[in-house]
This record gives sequence, C-alpha cells and structure tokens, in this order.
Amino acid sequence: MDGAVSGKPMRSLPQSPALSYADHFHLDPTDLSKVLGLALSSGGDFAEIFMEHRTNDFVNMEEDIIKETAESVSLGLGVRVLSGDKTGFGYTNDLALEKVEKAALTASAIASGKAKALPARVRDKRLANSAYRVSVPADKAGLRKKIALVREAYGAAQKSDARIVKVKAYFQDSLSNIAILNSEGLFVRDTRPMVKLVCVAISEKNGRRELGFWGGGGRVGLEYFQEVLTPRAIGEQAAHEAVILLEAGDAPAGEMPIVLSPGHSGVLIHEAVGHLLEADFNRKKTSIFWNKMGKKVGSDLVTIYDDPTIPSFRGSYNVDDEGTVPRRTLLIEKGVVRGLLQDRLSAGLMGRPLTGHGRRQDYSNAPIPRMANTYIDRGEYAPEEILGSVRKGFYVASLSGGQVEDSGKFTFSVSLGYLIEGGRLTAPVKQATLIGTNIDILKRIEMAGSDLEFGLQTGTCSKDGQDVPVADGCPTLKISKMTVGGRT
Amino acid sequence: MKDAGRPSAPADLRALAERLVGDARKLGADEVEVSVVDGREFDVDVRRGKIEHLVEADSRVCGLKVIKDKRTAYASSSDLAPGTLRGLVRNAVKRAALASPDEFAGLAPLAKKRVDAAALDLFDPAVAELDPKTKIGLARETERIALGDKRITNSYGANFGTNELRSVLANSNGFVGEYEQTYCELSVGLQAGGTDNRVEDSWFSSKRHFKDLAAPEEIARMAVERTVRQLRPRKIKTQNVPVIFEPTQTSWLMGFLFGCVSGTAVYQKATFLAGRLGQKIGNGFVTVVDDGLMPGGLGTRPFDSDGLPSRRTRVVGKGILESYLCNTYAARKLKLRSTGNADGSGVSPNNFYLEPGTAAPQDIIAGTKKGLILIRTLGHGLNSVSGDISRGAFGLWVEDGEIAYPVSEITISGNLGQILNDIEAVGNDLDFFSPVTGPTIEVAEMTVAGS
Repeated sequence: MDGAVSGKPMRSLPQSPALSYADHFHLDPTDLSKVLGLALSSGGDFAEIFMEHRTNDFVNMEEDIIKETAESVSLGLGVRVLSGDKTGFGYTNDLALEKVEKAALTASAIASGKAKALPARVRDKRLANSAYRVSVPADKAGLRKKIALVREAYGAAQKSDARIVKVKAYFQDSLSNIAILNSEGLFVRDTRPMVKLVCVAISEKNGRRELGFWGGGGRVGLEYFQEVLTPRAIGEQAAHEAVILLEAGDAPAGEMPIVLSPGHSGVLIHEAVGHLLEADFNRKKTSIFWNKMGKKVGSDLVTIYDDPTIPSFRGSYNVDDEGTVPRRTLLIEKGVVRGLLQDRLSAGLMGRPLTGHGRRQDYSNAPIPRMANTYIDRGEYAPEEILGSVRKGFYVASLSGGQVEDSGKFTFSVSLGYLIEGGRLTAPVKQATLIGTNIDILKRIEMAGSDLEFGLQTGTCSKDGQDVPVADGCPTLKISKMTVGGRT
Repeated sequence: MKDAGRPSAPADLRALAERLVGDARKLGADEVEVSVVDGREFDVDVRRGKIEHLVEADSRVCGLKVIKDKRTAYASSSDLAPGTLRGLVRNAVKRAALASPDEFAGLAPLAKKRVDAAALDLFDPAVAELDPKTKIGLARETERIALGDKRITNSYGANFGTNELRSVLANSNGFVGEYEQTYCELSVGLQAGGTDNRVEDSWFSSKRHFKDLAAPEEIARMAVERTVRQLRPRKIKTQNVPVIFEPTQTSWLMGFLFGCVSGTAVYQKATFLAGRLGQKIGNGFVTVVDDGLMPGGLGTRPFDSDGLPSRRTRVVGKGILESYLCNTYAARKLKLRSTGNADGSGVSPNNFYLEPGTAAPQDIIAGTKKGLILIRTLGHGLNSVSGDISRGAFGLWVEDGEIAYPVSEITISGNLGQILNDIEAVGNDLDFFSPVTGPTIEVAEMTVAGS
C-alpha cells in the first residue's frame, strides 16, 4: 500500500467533482473513509470500493408492433479485500450506511491480522476520455428516436424479400456511472455509454425455416446509426443471411483446409488464444499456455493484441473496473507468447505489470482478467490470393459463437459457410461446428490477409458467470486443416 | 449519508408491491404487475486447500409491468429508494403510450385455485442457519479428497454456495402471493494429465435441502472418475454411428427441446415444432413432462410470474406433441391455455424431463456394437428454427459392447426432429440433478466428425 500512514480518517477525498455521484450513491467522503477503514480492519493487502449506477433503455419490436419498452436502474456497491491470493467480497444494493458497512466487514473477514491504515492522501485521477465517441447521447435522446431506429431496421428486413416471414428488432442503450476508491488512495470515475441495435429475420420456403442476424453499436451515440451502420443496412443484412441459408446445404464433415472471413472470424482468436492468456488461468497453471511465455506456439504470421483503447468499440473503456488505465497489450508476437491479460490480483501475485484488463459485469462481482477488443494483426496477402490457394476446402462466412477449455480445445459455431472448390466460393453451407486444439491450429495458420476487420459490435463474452461486452477482429486467414463437424 | 433523500430499505416487501400496484393505478394504468425478490447469497471457492474467494451479500430487485390502453411498458430497479421507484412508475405509465396497442396484452385473470407454497417443500431453514465454517469446510473437504487421487494434476477448486430468496408478486387483478426458497450447491472441478495433454471435468450436487446434498466423498469420487476416464484420448475417423447420451447430455438436449416447445418461440415461428401440435414428433420412447409441483424440485414454484398456479403438463406423450409451454401472452397468441411457465416477459421450464425407461445404462452400452458415449460437449451450435445440432464433443468409444478408449476433438451433428424419432433405448437412471433433465438415451445414428 503506497503512502499509507497510521489510522487517521481520510482527509482529502475530492469534494466538488464527486457531487454528481453523490446523487446516486449518497456517500460522502467521511462515509467512504469509514467504509474503507472497516474493509481494512482485519488487515489485508488491498481494499477497494466500487460504486455503480447504471440506467438502461430497451425497445422491442415483433409481430409488426412496438411490443414493449423497458427502463431499468441498477445501483449498488461492492467492497473487495485482497489478502495474498485470497479475495473477500461483499456487495449491497441498499446504500444505507449499515448495509454498506456490513459489505465491508464481510470482505474484511478474508484477512486475519492487524488493521491496516487508510491512505494518507487520495488522488482524484482525471481520465482523458479516449474510448467513447458520442455526439448524440442515447440517454438524452428520448424514446421516440429509439423507436424510429427499431422500426426502420424491422421494416427493411421485412420488405427486402418475400421469403421473410418473421422479424424481430430491438434497441438497447445504457449509461453506467462508476466510481472506484481504493486503499492506495486512488479515486477515479468513469461514465460509460453503450448502444446496440439488433435485427433477427426468419425466412421460410417449402416448410424449411432459417434465421439471419445482424446488428451494431458500441460506445457511441445515436449518430452511429446514420454515419456508420444504418438501421436499414442492419435489417437488410439480417434478411439477406436468412434467405441465403434457405439454399444452404449441410456442412461437410472431416478435416480440411479452412479460410476464415475477415472480421467475424475474430471469434476464433478470442476463443483459441484470448481466454487462455487471461492471467488467472496461467497463475493457477490450468491454461495450456502457463509454461509457454517466450515460447513459440504459432506460425510467424500470428501476432495478437488486445486493445481496450480503440475509440467507440464495445470492448473499450477509459479505465478498467479496478482503476487501471488500460493499454494495448501484445499477447503473441510472430507466434511467440509475449504477454497476459492482467488484473490487479494476478499481476501482483505474478510480479507482472498491470495491463488494464480487470473487468466485472457489475458491482455485484469482483473483477477478473478479461478481454476487451482482441485481434490478430494483418498479413500481406490479398484475400483473393488466399482463397485462390485452396482447391477444396471450407470458407467460414459468419459465426455465432464459440467456447474453449483450458486444455486449449475449442469450438466455434459457423452460422453460414461456403464450400471452396478450385479457389472459388461455391455452395452455401449452414450450421457447422469447427473444433481444434489451439496450439495445433496456431501452427497451421498459413496465410494472413491484408484486410484486417472487426466483427459485429454486438458481442458479449461470458466467464465465471460474468458477461462483459467485447469485440474481436482478424484479417482473412487460412488454416491448413481443421475438423469441420458437418454431416455425412 | 445524512441527507433525507438517502435510500432506505422498505421493510415490508409485500406492502411495497401492493403499494406500487396502487400507485400505478392511480396514475392511470389499466393493469399493473409488481414483483419483488429479496435474496441472500453466500459463495466460497477453495483451491488447493485455501480460500480463494468468498462472497456474501443481500440484494433485492423490483420489477414492474404497466398496461394502459393495451400498451405495455416494463421497468426494473435494484434501487428500492421510494424516490427512484416513484419515478419509474410514473415513467412507465407515461412510456406505455409509446408502445403499440397489442390486443394480446393483459394480465392473467385471477385464478380460483391456489397452490399451497408450504406443501412444495422449497425452503430449508437449515440452509439459512449454516455457519460459514461449515460451508468452507465442505468445499475444502471435497477438494482434499479429490486431490488425494494421484491421477489428478490440478484443481479448479471446490465451491460451496447457498441462496435464500423471497419472492413477492402482486397485480391489479387482485393476486398477491409470496414464497421463500433455498438452494445449496457443492462442486469441484479438476484436471488430469500434463500441460499439453490435459483433460478436465467437474461434478456437483445441487439441492434445496441441506440434508439432501451429496457427501463430499461422493462428489469428489464422481469428479475424479469423470476426469480421468478422458485421459489419453484418440481421434477417430468421420463416421455415422449410434450415440449414447449420458444424463448430463440428455439434460442439454431437453433444454434445447424446451426452447423448441416454448410458446414464445412457437408464435414467433422460431422453432421447427411450430404448427406441429397433436402430431407425432418422436417415437414411442419419447414422453416429456413439465412439472411445477414436484415437492422439493429445483424447478418447483407455487405460481409463475403471471401469478398463475403451477401445474404438471405432459408436453410429449409417446411421441405425440401434446402441449406447448406457455405464459399468458403466448397462450393468447396461440389460442391455447397458459401452462404456468411465465418467467418475466418470457417462458421458462419448471421441472422439465424425459420420462425414464427400463434399461440399465450398462445394458444399453453392452448392447452397442460400435458407437460413441457422449460425455461432454463444447460450444453452442443449437438452432431451434431448424432443429439442427452441431457441437464439439468428448466421448468414450464403444466396441463390442464395451468402452474401448476416450475420444476427443470430434464434433457431433444431427437434428432434434430426427433424434426424437431415432431414440432406440431410454435408461432407468433419471435423476433431478438439474431442473431440466433426462436419463441415459441411445440415438440410432448421428454424424461424428473426426479426422
């Protein structure tokens, strides 16, 4: 604990800038220092109060009507105490002082020792807003504008093809105000916007039904839906995918060369590499990578970063959920493992620098190492050269998700693919699963395109029951062989 | 925290719910429904003998549904301060005007019958009274026993968690109900093998009553066995073979079936079983039940989120699709009756299971000349619109009626509609380890893709 002196109450918690927060949290500096003091009352290496006030708006359209709107408020506070590799955590959404104190005492019980002193000084850390790009804030826009966006996406999907039989569209936005105070004297606040517009279209032909999905958003305002991705494009793309799938055949089964489309296929990097370079799995030696730092695990073409600072992206933030300003983190360089995604607990225990990847779903969870925006860097090949190099194989056009376990075995689900025959895309293919072991697949990346793209800004990642928004990206990639789980 | 506006916790949640119903009515709402859930949670992770993570907390959430001129608005809040709730009620009544009129919107009529919550055996005072030392001790003991097996090389840790919940529901049709429930769960996750040939698995016991929880020895033994049986897997050639689903695998298959018979998916045409009511969708082995009344069941409750009493519904009877599972809204859309499956604005299963057959699981294996026992899956790959299934898989290869070796890095694919017609055997080993469950089953043929 930097700069801690004997147990005097905190003298200098920032006053005026905190006022807008006081409206939500009703905690004044005296209260906060009392709570932090309780958290440290049994010792421990570190204590922290995480406060969050989040508002959400939701508009849902189905069956040709604006079916419902919803508003939600989430308010609460979590207290965490670290003692060695142990974490004590208490939370409450009742901000009466006695409840907050109880949460602090719960967290403090993880440690057993003499009370630790409060920090002598509190730094009110000012953040430069670099991660969010908002000119028309959704929280101030009024529901009518949001309803108009949903109607436009819905209508576009419905009108674009006679085979579209059902459409659903929804819009969601949130504004999260967080404040973090810790025993190192750090006080930091952030206000995080998020918007998302999604359309699902169902097509039908001769009794067969298929589903298409498209959407977008991020840490942006409503201007995004004019300037970057229009509701109309979202609706039309969802319909387009649903219609193509009507003609799609069963996927082939067995091992074959794979070409991954740029952008969407970033899910593969997220699953195959990102999760297993989260520091907790390596500190506990459950990840296949734990003993591979500095070792070559993939081909020279594999360079992977996670960058929480990309402006406007879903996975971006000005500060992580334990007060660290994030930085772009090199995970794999030319096939060699170079870094891990760190949170405070693991970085401290491993003696490694913080990277700003300690994230939590909300105040009711302790932070853990998470990805933000993960991508594999661009290569040299033109996409058509890559495709042209495959005589017979499988092209992954869009993906619906994936999963990995610590052994490195991972899968991802292809919602739309194509057969590659003689260097060209031929028949569309539906619903296939690809499976592999990450260190095998990373070695088999044979070509990387110059066309780095990011996937839809709609993704959410789950770990230990906590969901956080993420994005991922990649250029066109060729994998020499991988098992495709189709049907014979 | 000196100011008068500071959030203060209303002591009587039932009174709060009734008051909010009244407030919204006064503001002009035609129909109102309010739910309040008050929860207490304890959770401890022990890894390599030490406490790694300990959480204890109380939390509450209030949900609100308002209908005015057949237009619906929802709101929810974890901030129960009177000012916040007043604002949300006021906004919701105003906001309802922005939704479209929906002829199907509306609360469920007040049911004549009520289910006695006390008779359902959902609450165990022993769970509430457990002291932290006992809870931590159980997790520690489970992991210690598992790590005693030399073949286990690493641990994800053991977890013990409890939940106590009180749920209150009130609506403007005169329904007020509340019930208390408890859950406790003990689990452990393990790895075996070296860094580059790891296998992993876990086991757990989840119950409402502390006395029903499996002993640490039993959970540790199951977790060890399930982990080490995967050591030294082989890859297999792509082929079509019979697939035996262990109960944990039948469980996800039933979860997928639930999604395909949910009234919401049916009226949205998002399921291949839309329009199939009364038709044969499976063979004679397939009888599926949703039971909200099973005493002590993990999915049991006295009433659903529409305030309708729980019931037992036969969903599939000997292969015939007899009922979709509906909330009030989906039932109106489909001109059916609600089955008491409302959950928020959607539909969820109560205790949803495939009825057991008579075959012992070991006899099913013994009767299989060549095939795959499916033991774990990875990834999602379930499409309710088409019924298509495609998932990463781990299994045990069967030859001449005996388990020959483990297999990994394979996928299984098939279609739920086909599978329901291709079930060749149903085991006698139904266990309610989860509210959505089923016994061991054997499916005549699925594609297993390997090298």
